[in-house]
This record gives sequence, C-alpha cells and structure tokens, in this order.
Amino acid sequence: MPNLTERLEINVRVNGRQYQRRVESRMLLVDFIRDELGLTGTHIGCDTGHCGACTIMLNGVTIKSCLLLAAQANHSDIQTIEGLAVDGKLHPMQKAFLEQHALQCGYCTPGMILSSLFLLQRNPNPSEEEIKRGIEGNLCRCTGYLNIVKAVKAAAIRTNRKGT
Amino acid sequence: MKLRLASPKALIDINGVGELTQIREENGAIAVGALTRHDQLARNSIIREKSPLLAEAASVIADQQVRNRGTIGGSLAHADPTADLPTACTAIGGTIIAASVNGSRSIESSDFFRDYFTTSLRQDEIIKEVRVPIPPPGSGGAYLKLSKGQNDFAVVAVAVQVTIDGDDVCRTASVVLGGVAPTPVHAEETERFLVGRRLEDRVVEEGAQKAADRLSPPSDIRGSAEYRLEMAKSVTKRAVGLSASRARGSA
Repeated sequence: MPNLTERLEINVRVNGRQYQRRVESRMLLVDFIRDELGLTGTHIGCDTGHCGACTIMLNGVTIKSCLLLAAQANHSDIQTIEGLAVDGKLHPMQKAFLEQHALQCGYCTPGMILSSLFLLQRNPNPSEEEIKRGIEGNLCRCTGYLNIVKAVKAAAIRTNRKGT
Repeated sequence: MKLRLASPKALIDINGVGELTQIREENGAIAVGALTRHDQLARNSIIREKSPLLAEAASVIADQQVRNRGTIGGSLAHADPTADLPTACTAIGGTIIAASVNGSRSIESSDFFRDYFTTSLRQDEIIKEVRVPIPPPGSGGAYLKLSKGQNDFAVVAVAVQVTIDGDDVCRTASVVLGGVAPTPVHAEETERFLVGRRLEDRVVEEGAQKAADRLSPPSDIRGSAEYRLEMAKSVTKRAVGLSASRARGSA
C-alpha cells in the first residue's frame, strides 16, 4: 500500500506571494491551491483533466492543476485568477469578459481567462479560428463560446492599441 | 492513480533531470529528450524542419494545457494505442533509448509497443531519449487523425512517411495506423503496393484500400469496428496523398 500519511514540505510562489506548507504526498495541486491557500477562484469541474476549470499558470504556461500533485509544484511560480486584478482594477481580459457578457454561470471563467491570456502571450492578434483552438481545453457548459471568443478578440485589440 | 487503476508504493518525479529536456541533431538523427513537452516538439525549429511529421502529430495532441505539460517519454511509455506520438514515432522509425542503473539500451519502435498500455520497458527502466532518423531529400510525411472532437482520442489516426525519386516513383513508404489495434500497426499491404509505383491518385486510392486488410479493430464508444475499417482506408488515402505532395515539394 502507498504511504498516505507521509507529508511533504512545499514552497511555492503564488500570485507574487511566497507560501510554505506541509501537505499529504497524494494531495492534488488544485486542492492545495483551494484548501491550503484558500484561493477558491481555481475551480474543480471534472477532476479528470477534461474541462479546464482548474487551469492555472505554472512557471508561465497554462496547465490543468487537477493533473499535478502539489508536490510536483514545489519551487514553482504560480499564477491564479486572483492574481490578475491590481488594486481592485480588473485585468483587461477580465474587463473584456465582463463587457462582452462572456460568462453566464461563471464556473469555467477563471480557466477560460488564463487560457486566453496564454494565447495572447503567444499570439497577440489571433484569428477567430486561433482563439477557438486556444481555448479548446476549456469547456463551457453554458455553451457561451460565442461571447468568449468575442471577449478574447476585444482584449487583443485593446492590448495591441495600448502597446502601440 | 486517480481512477485507482494504479497505486504505486512510491513515485519519482523525473521533471528535475535537465539532461532529459534537450533536442539536438547528431549523426543524421535528432535526439529528443524524454521530457520534451508536446508543445516544444510542435514548435521546435529542428523538429519542424527535419521531422515535420513528428511536429504535426505533437501539434494535434489534446489541448494547449496538456501540450504544455505532457512529454514524449510519458506518451510513449503510457502506450495508449489511440495516442498520437506512438503512431507517429512508429511511422518515422524512431528508436527509444531506455536507461536504468545498469546502463542504456536501444529499442526500435516496432519492438517497443507490445499491447494495450504495455511496452517492452523493464520494471527498472525509464525512457531517456527518442532518436528520430532524418528523412532523405524527396521525403514527405503527414499525420492525420479522425476524432470526435479536437481534444478527443483518435477513432483512427494515420501517420505516413514516403520518399519519392526524381521520376515521382515511391522508393520507401511507411504507413502506420493508430486506434485500430492494441499497438500502432504498419499497413504492410499498402506499403508494399506503393513502393515502386508513381504516387498518382489512382495508385494512392488503390493502396489505401489495402490499409484495412489485416485489421480487426475494436468497437467502442468512439466508433464501431466497421466504421473504423472504412475510415482507416479513407484517412490513409488522404494521408498518403498529402505526404506525396509534400515529398514533391521537398525534392
């Protein structure tokens, strides 16, 4: 039998803040973020790697945090949805989601936003097709994809304008 | 582990082993470290230029988050017959370098996949590297898969690598099907038919018809056996046709 009581020390930087915790070796990263750190903006949808609700940035790239053990994130730099707004001011992507009505129940939204941000980092001016491919790992059970695609497009335009 | 299919006594995270992350060209081959992420494989300039078939297969794996984290070593060791890299790797004649405390050994892709989720890796071995031969001029490849959605596993996947000479005659053909058997399988009848012939539309068509000859694919939620047999021929036709036109472009 695996040793389920073993606890491991984990040091991570999350949204710019350093945390140290001792957790069960079998704890998933998403449970660590939600239950140990209290950052419940990262959601658990399917727990099997399909839905993308638990998407976070790990060392600058999007991953599904239900597919990693917390121990694997030791010494990493994590960004969650809570880290986007600055001083109560929404991130341009959050603003675009709000303005374009790109959320209904909101369950998929944190993951959607992180995937959209990763897409724009790679490709600041994506086509509609590229946006759809960029968020293919995130499911919206409200099927509100149309407005999500619009929001990503709007955020891209706004960010590009600002940059020039 | 989540599904309780496996409950290992201990887990070793090899993600910290830096030497397993390199991609380098040496002696007419590309050495791809086992920890190369699918996303890197799809975007790496050496892979895209020298083994575009592998880059193409990596680019259609699951979704961005999975491509950011999944590795070539992990995909091959897992040996899911519907996964993309085992099929692509078999088609390009990749060699798996396995390592243990006792040293390393090379295993050809064709000897590596033994059964559903079963490889010839020994209990104490890990995949260290995959060696990918660089195809000669006049070569073209394609990886096409039919799936129920962009991020679902393949109903049928076909990886093709052909080499043609100046007269458009096929010199070598590797046609490998995934999702239709416990391991990736060569469509040997198709390969034999194509070699020595000009890859005209009617030759490609006739060759593709032979792709399903020796198959007895499974029926499951993704498709019935009959459907898979028909789709095997159809996707093979498209993949061989595309490979031939790419080979002409590179000659």
